[in-house]
Amino acid sequence: MSVGDLLQYLVTGLLVGGVYALMSIGLGLIFGVMRVVNFAQGDFMMLGMYLTYFLATGYGVDPLLGAVVIIPPFFLLGLGVHRALLVRVTGGGDPQRLMDAQLILTLGLSLIITNATTMLLTPMPRGIKTAYATQAFVVGPVLLNQARSYAFLMALLLAGAVYLFLTRTDLGKALRAAADEPEAAGYQGIDVRAMHGLAFGIGIALVAAAGGLLATYHPIEPTVAVNFIVLMFVAVVVGGLGSIPGAFAGGLMIGLVQSLTLLVLPFQLQNVGVFIAFLLVLYLRPQGLFGQRLRAV
Amino acid sequence: MKSVLTVRRRITVALALTLVALVAAPTLLVPKMAPAAEELKIALVVPLSGRWARQGQLKKMGAEMAIAEINAQGGIKALGGAKIVLREADAGDSVEKAVSAAQRALSREKISAGIGSWLSSFTLGVTEVAERLEVPWFTLSYADNITERGFKYTFQSSPVSSVQAEQALELLVEIAKRNNAPLKKAAIVGDNTAATVFFFKPLREKLLKAKGIEIVVDEVWTPPLADATAIVQKLRATQPDIMFYGATNFPDSIQVLQKIKEFGVKTPIQGVGAWLVTPEYVKAVGPELLDNIKTVVAAHPLKGQDELVKRFKERTGEPFMTQDPLMSYAHVWIIKEAAERAKSTDPKAIREAVSKLDLTSGPAASTLTPGRIRYDERGRRIGAAPIIVQWQKGEPFTVAPTELATRTLVWQTK
Amino acid sequence: MVGARASRLAGLVPIGLVVLLGLVLTLVLGERHHHRILTLVFVWATMGLAWNIISGYAGQTSFGHQAFFGIGAYVTVLLVVGVRLTPWLGLIAGTLAAVVAAVLIGFPTFRLAGIYFALATLAYPLILRIVMDFLGYQEVAIPMVRDRPTLFMQFKDPRAYDVLALAALGGTLLLSHWIEGSRLGYALRALKENEAAAEAAGVDTFRAKMTAYMLSAAPAAVIGAIYAHAILFVVTPDAVFGTLVIVQTLVVCLVGGVGSKWGPVLGAAIMVPMSEILDATVGDRLPGIQGVVYGSALVLMILFAPEGIYWRLRAFRPSRAVDTPTESAPAAIMAGAAGRSPGAPGTALLDVRGVSKAFLGLHALEDVSFTVHAREILGVIGPNGAGKTTLFNVLNGFLSPDAGEVRYRDEPITGLRPNAICRRGVARTFQVVRTFPQLTVLENVLVGAFVHEPALAAARARALAALAAVGLRSRVDALPGGLTTLDLRLMELARALATGPDLILLDEPLAGLSRDGVDAMMALVRRVRDAGVSVVIIEHTMYAVVQLVDRLVVLDHGRRVAEGAPNDVVRDPAVIEAYLGNKWLGRVAGLPT
Repeated sequence: MSVGDLLQYLVTGLLVGGVYALMSIGLGLIFGVMRVVNFAQGDFMMLGMYLTYFLATGYGVDPLLGAVVIIPPFFLLGLGVHRALLVRVTGGGDPQRLMDAQLILTLGLSLIITNATTMLLTPMPRGIKTAYATQAFVVGPVLLNQARSYAFLMALLLAGAVYLFLTRTDLGKALRAAADEPEAAGYQGIDVRAMHGLAFGIGIALVAAAGGLLATYHPIEPTVAVNFIVLMFVAVVVGGLGSIPGAFAGGLMIGLVQSLTLLVLPFQLQNVGVFIAFLLVLYLRPQGLFGQRLRAV
Repeated sequence: MKSVLTVRRRITVALALTLVALVAAPTLLVPKMAPAAEELKIALVVPLSGRWARQGQLKKMGAEMAIAEINAQGGIKALGGAKIVLREADAGDSVEKAVSAAQRALSREKISAGIGSWLSSFTLGVTEVAERLEVPWFTLSYADNITERGFKYTFQSSPVSSVQAEQALELLVEIAKRNNAPLKKAAIVGDNTAATVFFFKPLREKLLKAKGIEIVVDEVWTPPLADATAIVQKLRATQPDIMFYGATNFPDSIQVLQKIKEFGVKTPIQGVGAWLVTPEYVKAVGPELLDNIKTVVAAHPLKGQDELVKRFKERTGEPFMTQDPLMSYAHVWIIKEAAERAKSTDPKAIREAVSKLDLTSGPAASTLTPGRIRYDERGRRIGAAPIIVQWQKGEPFTVAPTELATRTLVWQTK
Repeated sequence: MVGARASRLAGLVPIGLVVLLGLVLTLVLGERHHHRILTLVFVWATMGLAWNIISGYAGQTSFGHQAFFGIGAYVTVLLVVGVRLTPWLGLIAGTLAAVVAAVLIGFPTFRLAGIYFALATLAYPLILRIVMDFLGYQEVAIPMVRDRPTLFMQFKDPRAYDVLALAALGGTLLLSHWIEGSRLGYALRALKENEAAAEAAGVDTFRAKMTAYMLSAAPAAVIGAIYAHAILFVVTPDAVFGTLVIVQTLVVCLVGGVGSKWGPVLGAAIMVPMSEILDATVGDRLPGIQGVVYGSALVLMILFAPEGIYWRLRAFRPSRAVDTPTESAPAAIMAGAAGRSPGAPGTALLDVRGVSKAFLGLHALEDVSFTVHAREILGVIGPNGAGKTTLFNVLNGFLSPDAGEVRYRDEPITGLRPNAICRRGVARTFQVVRTFPQLTVLENVLVGAFVHEPALAAARARALAALAAVGLRSRVDALPGGLTTLDLRLMELARALATGPDLILLDEPLAGLSRDGVDAMMALVRRVRDAGVSVVIIEHTMYAVVQLVDRLVVLDHGRRVAEGAPNDVVRDPAVIEAYLGNKWLGRVAGLPT
């Protein structure tokens, strides 16, 4: 295998990982702040893909732009879902039972969203025809798919924006306070419930944007979430539950592991490599590459 | 304390009532089946919701068209003009649901024959139910193992994958020679779903070698495919003369085609299966990407079927007719013929009639190659041969065998 | 609930009734697909019960139980296809394979907790799914056997499948029932509520979790094999290792109620028919609607009964009468476990030699040495941050020292797990009382009693005696939530006593008590010592400590700065400096004693 080939594997892994990374930040934020395991995360991504598709085919909005445009409506959707449903099963009480209740709630939500979409929009797969999905930047021996490259850059930008928000703004700091020490934050006058809503809204908006970016090269159907939801969880855990840069790094890692596994294992076992890496991280460094140890529950 | 308990009790009662209502309402809303004069009921167990719902819908369209035609022509003459009724049951997206659907459909009322279920694992389960309940069952699934179980009630109308592999290769080698592009190197690219596996196995193990063709790329993945770069890198490096391609998962297959274009690989693509010729392909990626890609299928509109295709397009609004609706259309007509000969709606009698069937004319026979409908003792259709279909300017046409072709084959140049 | 043997047997009656009901339904139902629904109810109830053993009783939520379900299905079916082995025997092979898998998975994974454990377990069925596809087992059709079909678990009459699944359900109900009333059951509940306290009370938490895991894998494998034969007819990796399996299990358990054997039964009885009826009525006409309705039902359920239907219904039962807190005269304290003599006063019981422990550069303990003798009360005092609780954590096994060793009865105990140390005779209470909140006072103490009394009746007697000894006999049926601070500390002490120790480590037992409480506790500690159990006590309340202890050890900044009789120690300049600082040294020196 030549160096060029090897580089191609690395580059491919990173580009694939970039979009995983953006998908995972949303999940990581939601889990980090609210300790909610959101089964429906992938379905919100699917809705983001559809909205981007309609903007592209109906109004000619390029999906790279569309992915950003859909952020506000999905943020509001996330806020709404939190207010209507999640509020009732978070905060206070036995953590074990809470996790169980959230699981079922988000599972039910996932079923509703997927099936309603199937009924209303039909299961016919759709695709956005972009020129750059089948074009590549040539950098030496390596080809960088244009759609994936743009998606990667956008993902980086959005993740960076979230990171700055969390670390530089007062609201972001309040959010982190509510995540780390909800009781103390409450005493400081921070409305923890509102912070949770904010986190959920941002998390949903991010994963919808990831969907929009994905739609530049991936077909859209109501059941598209199924292919990504597990990888999202894996990325978040590998990067570190509760760490935003961690979730991003986790996504990149998963992309890399997927790609490099092909050098070691038969193609059919590609995802086995990912799951083995996942187990290794859990066994050797459960807090993930960048996370802090969760306090004993 | 007491008032809290009462509030809780009220909420629980309300919850219970809501749930009962939720479950009962659909039961009440479903119209009772009107007892009718003798009807021939055909069950259609296909995915109607979930990931493969589109395929199920296509099959349903074909069946409905045949039923409409038959009923318009006066139904089943031997049964005094009895009408055919379709009973569809949603196979969903799991084997459990598919088998449940078959059980349901076949026990709710007297079903004379059934069709389904697209995914070979579903078909395996569903035909087992049909075998136990002794109802003849028709399928277009390609997997060899469907008719290797010693079943008496299963009828497989497509040529099985191993036969497809052999015959398609013959055709291709010949066509390649005619186009001065003899096949020396081949690539095998696809997923590990059963139909694809059954096709690739004989190719890999003996057929290609027998023709002196070297396998230069052999990449099989477990769906979903994360990224096609690794595969296409190899294609680019080895430049095979033909690529056998079996990717039943829509996003996977699109990825590979896009990557092939991106890397500028020009190898002619030979698909395996009808998944490659659905309208959503051309809608999703545009006609240029698909141009001249070929695929092997069990059925596709043949020379002389323009009327049929036109009727289908008008009826359903679909841009073209493909294997799935065509097959269920043929199956309904086969069942009709069997019922005429059996002079009964009894499933056992129909099964007997099917096993003795030898149709050389009529809509069913003209739809399926080689123009003759006969089944052997295993339930396999005798003489079933594959068809090669090619995308030309955004629509798929039959191009081989030449006597049945509706367009001339265009050989993709490297 | 702890009950006499009669009530244990009485607990079998509801199981019998449920099985009877199942049989009645089997005979009464007419249509084939109704039988399929019934079989599915039994299947998912059984799977839910299996999951409940590890995730409900032991509190270790697993997302990977489908691994065992799939192993049972695949092993059985592959043996049929490959060597034509009857599935009745293949079942045994499948179950064994699943239990072995449980051990292999459990070993590395039980070190994790909570969501980490759950996600780790998820990886295994995901891997197995891919591997099965890779090995060529994408669709393994069970061959239809026409001669002697019963030998191959194939029945013409659908009722036979109902009975088969019902038998599995009944067996798993019995298994659950047995666990609930056994030593293992209490150990699981204890470790679920508070793992550290359970360890300190002598529960081998790792072994308990592993046993529970193995016990939960077996029924899952059995029902997986039955599912393959009764429902699927063709086994695919997705059908038995896929997410739908664990989703169905979770739905059935979480809607019904986790932690009780009736939860999964209720959950299955409600959700499975609902799903099937939706499929049968509207699913065929309006495909997709059944998913929307089912999803909505889930959301509604969990909003109004997040703890599960079973627990919600149980909350309606009139609560037990609150105990009147009349304290009867405390009974005598039984000292020592069978076979261990308390030892003559003055002999060394616990030997601490040069123990050091550092955390990230901070020296919590530095070269600490002292001895605890039999029948004495040793006090450990020192300013905040001196390392007292760290010392206890090392002594009782929660921490391993970086240097030095601890010897108990002249045998090294450094590095042993807390439950092993407890078993040898060192008990412990905690600075903040660690109770098992969902267990009654008696059951809390019972957990400790099991250390030396494996049988339920004897353990119960021992627990009652311990409670009598501390004066809590009248509160045995209360929940810890309703107890005063003093009673909670008494309960924790009773639990420690029930483990039959020769040495008890008391971590600030007087904190938060009123003057009367302090006196009561002190009197109790003296009685404990007099009965032959040594006591090492960390305390801040100086006047109490000085009156109570026989000897004192003083720690400051991780070092032992003094050891000796109380009167000497409090005048020791090093001690005064430690507490009050250099400035005060001079002042205190001149004070009258």
